[in-house]
Amino acid sequence: MSAPNARERKACWDARDELWKCLDVHKDQTSACEKLQREFEDKCPAQWVKYFFKRRDFLKYKEKIQNEGYEPTEGASKL
Amino acid sequence: HRASYGQQQGIGSCWYVYQEKQKKIQMQRPEQLRKMAVRQGYFSLLDHTGQQRTKRDFLGCWVLLYFGFTHCPDICPDEVDKMTSLVCILDDDPSLPSVQPVFITVDPERDDVSAMAKYVKDFHPRLIGLTGTAEEVKQAGRDYTVYASAGPKDEDGDYIVDHTIIIYLVNPDGLFLDYYNRMKSDVQIAENIRNHMINYVKLFPD
Repeated sequence: MSAPNARERKACWDARDELWKCLDVHKDQTSACEKLQREFEDKCPAQWVKYFFKRRDFLKYKEKIQNEGYEPTEGASKL
Repeated sequence: HRASYGQQQGIGSCWYVYQEKQKKIQMQRPEQLRKMAVRQGYFSLLDHTGQQRTKRDFLGCWVLLYFGFTHCPDICPDEVDKMTSLVCILDDDPSLPSVQPVFITVDPERDDVSAMAKYVKDFHPRLIGLTGTAEEVKQAGRDYTVYASAGPKDEDGDYIVDHTIIIYLVNPDGLFLDYYNRMKSDVQIAENIRNHMINYVKLFPD
């Protein structure tokens, strides 16, 4: 399977960005963005879909930590 | 009380020996740099036209190296785009020597010569893609402490390669001079390279 070329990469990134916009508006309710989700999965290799979702989750988590602070879990050992 | 004549002589000769030693160290420095330039960053790979290229072929040129892979979702295209852009910025200045951008794969299993040819044509016209066997590619990255680790394969046999994201600057003597991470912009990197070029002193006489 050959790697996507520049045109295919851009189509994938655009589909991803449209999906992200929709998920942001609908507060991550995937049911509201099913059509865009399908387009994203069509236009991007499966490995990239997984990678971009992981990255989105990570960036949201990072934002949450930066805005809300971090609470260590109960009974967590001191380093 | 005042040092005796003998002690003054002793101090004088210590100072002389020290100065001579400093001169010798200074004279050895270019020699050490020459040795380092020859030894460091050696590679023997195939370019995207199937031609063999070693480090020697690039001596005399300013070179930018980026290690990545063609199946990379976004980081490599971004960085190679940035490399393209900064080379164009430097190209626009006729007073500067030209820079050779090079893309070396960290995924030799998939990135053969034709995959590299397909990839490089989306970027700067002078961009050269390099590939080889797993061992050759590993050796090329060794002196730049390039980290690369392929992730698990999915059902399509696709995988992501986790790797260092750095652009390396090598001078015409083959000496690794500087490096730039993702935070540096094309403009910043071009400016840094311009300064290196202005301050460049040839290590190997013609």
